Amino acid sequence: MNKKAYLALAAVCLVFQGAPVQAGDDIEGLARTCYGCHGTNGVSVGQSMPSIAGLSADYLKTVMMEWKSGARASANMTRLISGYSDAEIAGLASYFSKLPWTPQVQKTSKETLAKGKAASDRCESCHGVTGGEPDGDDIPRLNGQWAKYLELELMKYRDEAFQMSHKKMIKNARKLDEGEVNSVAEYFGAQSK
Amino acid sequence: MSQFNRREFIKTLAAASSASALAFPSIARAAAKARVIVIGGGYGGATAAKYVKLLDPGIDVTLIEPNKTYTSCPLSNEVISGYRDIKTLQIGYDGLKKRGVNVLQDLVVGVDRAKKTVTLQGGKTLQYDAMVMSPGVEFHYNTLEGYSEAVINDIPHAWKAGEQTLILKKQLEAMPDGGKFVIVVPKGPFRCPPGPYERASQVASYLKHHGKAKSKIIILDANDSHSKKGLFQQAWKALYGFEKEGLGTSGMIEWVKASEGGNVNKLDAATKTVHSDFVDLKADVLNIIPPHKAGKIAVTADLAKADGWCKVVPMTMASAEDEAIYTIGDSCVAGEMALYGNPNANFDMPKSAHIAMTQAKVAAAAIVAKVNGLPTPTPYYANTCYSIVDEGYGFSVAHQYRVVDGTFKYIKEGSGISPMAMPDKSPVPPIYRKLEAEYADGWLRNVMADAFG
Repeated sequence: MNKKAYLALAAVCLVFQGAPVQAGDDIEGLARTCYGCHGTNGVSVGQSMPSIAGLSADYLKTVMMEWKSGARASANMTRLISGYSDAEIAGLASYFSKLPWTPQVQKTSKETLAKGKAASDRCESCHGVTGGEPDGDDIPRLNGQWAKYLELELMKYRDEAFQMSHKKMIKNARKLDEGEVNSVAEYFGAQSK
Repeated sequence: MSQFNRREFIKTLAAASSASALAFPSIARAAAKARVIVIGGGYGGATAAKYVKLLDPGIDVTLIEPNKTYTSCPLSNEVISGYRDIKTLQIGYDGLKKRGVNVLQDLVVGVDRAKKTVTLQGGKTLQYDAMVMSPGVEFHYNTLEGYSEAVINDIPHAWKAGEQTLILKKQLEAMPDGGKFVIVVPKGPFRCPPGPYERASQVASYLKHHGKAKSKIIILDANDSHSKKGLFQQAWKALYGFEKEGLGTSGMIEWVKASEGGNVNKLDAATKTVHSDFVDLKADVLNIIPPHKAGKIAVTADLAKADGWCKVVPMTMASAEDEAIYTIGDSCVAGEMALYGNPNANFDMPKSAHIAMTQAKVAAAAIVAKVNGLPTPTPYYANTCYSIVDEGYGFSVAHQYRVVDGTFKYIKEGSGISPMAMPDKSPVPPIYRKLEAEYADGWLRNVMADAFG
């Protein structure tokens, strides 16, 4: 390459280093490693795996930092998360929070819906009637989240052997009876908004 | 990529045309577009094709794959035991076609690296500016005396999922109580490191739940240790009466390591008898996992020069032999293996679908950056791999790798297996194993959609 061409290339590279796409590219590359389990762009198509696109940055960051500190248990995320710096965790939380929330509206029976709605009374003040209007940035949306995943989360909150961190959630999840767990999960899974 | 970011990215790409002329002069002469050819439509190849197109729709992407339908190897052991329908593992290429990828049902038979062309069995010759080589593995039957491809309908490998998986399933179902199911494991590295042991577990689960608990599963292993060994043996003890390592032990599963006679060197196909230095064993069902190396076309193209595997440049997954070709997936060796002559050999990347997909994304981003004259993006590699040993009992291993000073670095802090015990030494509560068994299915649906959708 001649000198003139080299300088031209160097100039172009400098420009791109300052461009937004370059600044964001590292986190985007890192985020792509999450897609294997959480779906392309964080929208899951697997029922036991949560969609993470469009959840609030506060919530995502809190959960990840609690896994990292050991305050909150996970069957597998506690291992993976320890490989990320605090800055990367904040970056990932911010990245996924800016993507649109994409509810996967799942069908269920009228009876289950009615039962789930009644049993989800205690969820309403924080998550909203349909789970779509969280009352605070550290609260996740539940509308159109996978019912199977929500059921597994409730199972975690209800099992004394599994260390969860949110006292209010632990208390409320343990007030549900076995049958209500499933109907509450399916009720939120069926909500579009 | 979000809509906003994609728009920004494309704008940047458009502005970068002067740079691409420098970085990729042949393209600047030919047309505005670069031509990317992807060889092999497994998890790695499909992901590479999809992500090149996602990151820069202006690039012409052609995927060449002989089969119309792909059958996932991950979770195919559950088909053998009857827990899963093989249809849940199968997917076609319509998703990629909808994204604008040209999919050719053909086989690449030749690569001319100097001319940057590939020749197809159908007779066509195609030109590439960059190529992703993701052919998977080629079985080397002849390295075991008495073994050949001619016997695989009788002695199935089931190490490429599909018809072979169903043959093994049928043989298991036909095996009487008290029968011997023998699994022969080749020397590593091989595709899916925990696969043989998960298979033994799934077979045990089938036998236990179908009134055939007097049967034996004997693993003859050409290695002295294996992936997730502690977790498997803990589960086998809890579920299948595993006693201890070695042949002639009680319990349904017996694991025989290489140094104790596990290294099979001869087969009598007619009687399904295998021989090692110390052991002669006649099987009712014989499952030989053939020794394997990089896919044939990678060898033909003279890229598999690291003991039969393709060595790569850590920053980009480009071949160490050719900067225009990116060798990803099971055919490559990524990480500091002993064969690189490094006495402090690090953990090399396991040959898994998940790893192949993160390698594909690194290669795709590197290709798009190069075509557009942009700096090479930071590469990130990660793996999650679940093993299901019984209904509601699963565990996993996670791996992370980064690149430091141009070499792979295994991120120990972000890696590791599911716990064997809790920090206070108490047993792991069942909910952990139950959750991971559930997560395996969610993982499967998402990797299939992320690669092919």
